[in-house]
Amino acid sequence: MSAAHSQNLNVLLQEIEGIHLTHHNPRRLRADIAAEALPALLALLRGRASYVHLSAISCVDWIEENQFELVYHLWSYETSVLISAHIRIPREPGIYLSVFDIYTPAAFFERDIHEMFGVYFEGSPDMSKFILTEWNGPPPMRKDFNSEKWVMETFSWQEYHPDWLKDLEEQGGGIVSTPESIRMDNK
Amino acid sequence: MRPENYQAVNHPPSNEYELNFGPNHPGIEGNYALKVKLQGDTVVEARADAGYLHRGFEKLMEDRLWIQNISLVPRICVPDPVPMEVCYSLAVEELAGLELPERAQWLRVLQLELSRIAAHLFYFGGHAATTGMYTPMYWGVADRDLLLDLFEELTGGRVYSIYNMPGGVRQDIPRGFLQRLSDTLDYIEGRLKDYDNLFFTNQIFVKRAKGIGIISQEQALEWSVTGPNLRACGLEFDVRRDDPYLIYDQLKFDIPTEHGGDAWARTLVRRLEMVESISIIRQVIKALPDIKGPVRTPIPNPLAWRVPAGDSYARVESSKGELAYYVVSNGGDKPYRVHIRGPSAMHAVQVLEKLAVGCRVEDVAQTMFSLDACPPEVDR
Repeated sequence: MSAAHSQNLNVLLQEIEGIHLTHHNPRRLRADIAAEALPALLALLRGRASYVHLSAISCVDWIEENQFELVYHLWSYETSVLISAHIRIPREPGIYLSVFDIYTPAAFFERDIHEMFGVYFEGSPDMSKFILTEWNGPPPMRKDFNSEKWVMETFSWQEYHPDWLKDLEEQGGGIVSTPESIRMDNK
Repeated sequence: MRPENYQAVNHPPSNEYELNFGPNHPGIEGNYALKVKLQGDTVVEARADAGYLHRGFEKLMEDRLWIQNISLVPRICVPDPVPMEVCYSLAVEELAGLELPERAQWLRVLQLELSRIAAHLFYFGGHAATTGMYTPMYWGVADRDLLLDLFEELTGGRVYSIYNMPGGVRQDIPRGFLQRLSDTLDYIEGRLKDYDNLFFTNQIFVKRAKGIGIISQEQALEWSVTGPNLRACGLEFDVRRDDPYLIYDQLKFDIPTEHGGDAWARTLVRRLEMVESISIIRQVIKALPDIKGPVRTPIPNPLAWRVPAGDSYARVESSKGELAYYVVSNGGDKPYRVHIRGPSAMHAVQVLEKLAVGCRVEDVAQTMFSLDACPPEVDR
């Protein structure tokens, strides 16, 4: 990224209130902002700063702080910089605004986050189930959903004691022949 | 007055009918369904239906050690597993501040490009099969097998190599490997002429593929299309060159583009990419003997390895497009959160739903395959 680009971008970003920028390296920029300011930031980046590619929206469940973190990864084909915009929203009720009107691909990511984390995006075109069509439990990617515990409670263990295992156990069990001994036999 | 529980029932017009395309069909590598609404032979509406291959990788990874996850990630995309390992490793290395030895970087590029060629061979075969041409499919799978032999020799695994790990690769190359690799590349390069005659210039294929599933460049940018599908619309962008990782900035390669944006252009871009990949591997073969040093930075006891708190977003160019991993650590011995952004998540859902509309029913499978989507990347 050239110095001129970087300066223009910095001037643009000053328009957003309360933005905090961190440069990880020349091609990665982290922006921490308040949740209310995000749609304005995205509209600015897409409309006036060539950030046309929404790479992904990631959600992180910070259960101890009772917050969800939403991360919008944006890429500019012109300046070759990836901006990650981080916001925090309260875990309850877990409602945020859709950015589908700014970035079309957001619809997929928002649908996915709604399914996996239970965050509802107001204004998103489709919040119906996609992957977990037959799942009626809580959103599984939340930290308070313990998949191992759920498996233990839902499924019962089956006794597995076939004849070949019984034979093995009668002979003393364990590994009968080591790989080395097999190789020696073949010689 | 309508009763309180009144619900309107929408009966479709009598000339419309629904067809469940899948979950098992020739249009895609894996189980994935497309519910299409047809008027006569023409699709008027399409809805993607995923979830047949959902294994909950992102949740599983939160319960496993940083190093254990390496054996999970390649399973997310079967035809092209190496970028998964490399991308996860790159993200963890950035978080942990691990310096990657130079030799390991070259070895990773070698695998990435081998995997790209193998995935493209698979793609040509599958794409040909959707138009009823089965010979290229048998050829593609057979030639891919030669590359899998090389993977087996290098890593011990034919498909899931589990060879990359945070800090480098597991071990150095076997003796004489570069010679055998070089021979196989010569063979594959020679075979490309046969593929041209049989498949790429074959009028049966050209007439079927031209004008199918057209994406304009504007639409491609709007829908976040990436990788070869984007280059088929005329935009010269490649993560390897424009957001370079490993040692790609030291290599010479072209970025082939096409302007049609249709199934034909998407196939042709991949055909041209194979030549570039072969040239990249040849550069690696030439340079590798002079690069000395270890292939792995030692990490502390992997069973108790704690990665500093933070987050990182690593991107690589897989054979299907932009692949990215968002990894978050809270300073523990396991990842706090891993988000996988597979290229197919865009191609197989939003793009496909739009492209399928207006297609004739016999072109739906070809449209799907021409996007080279991998359902397990959508389901994760």
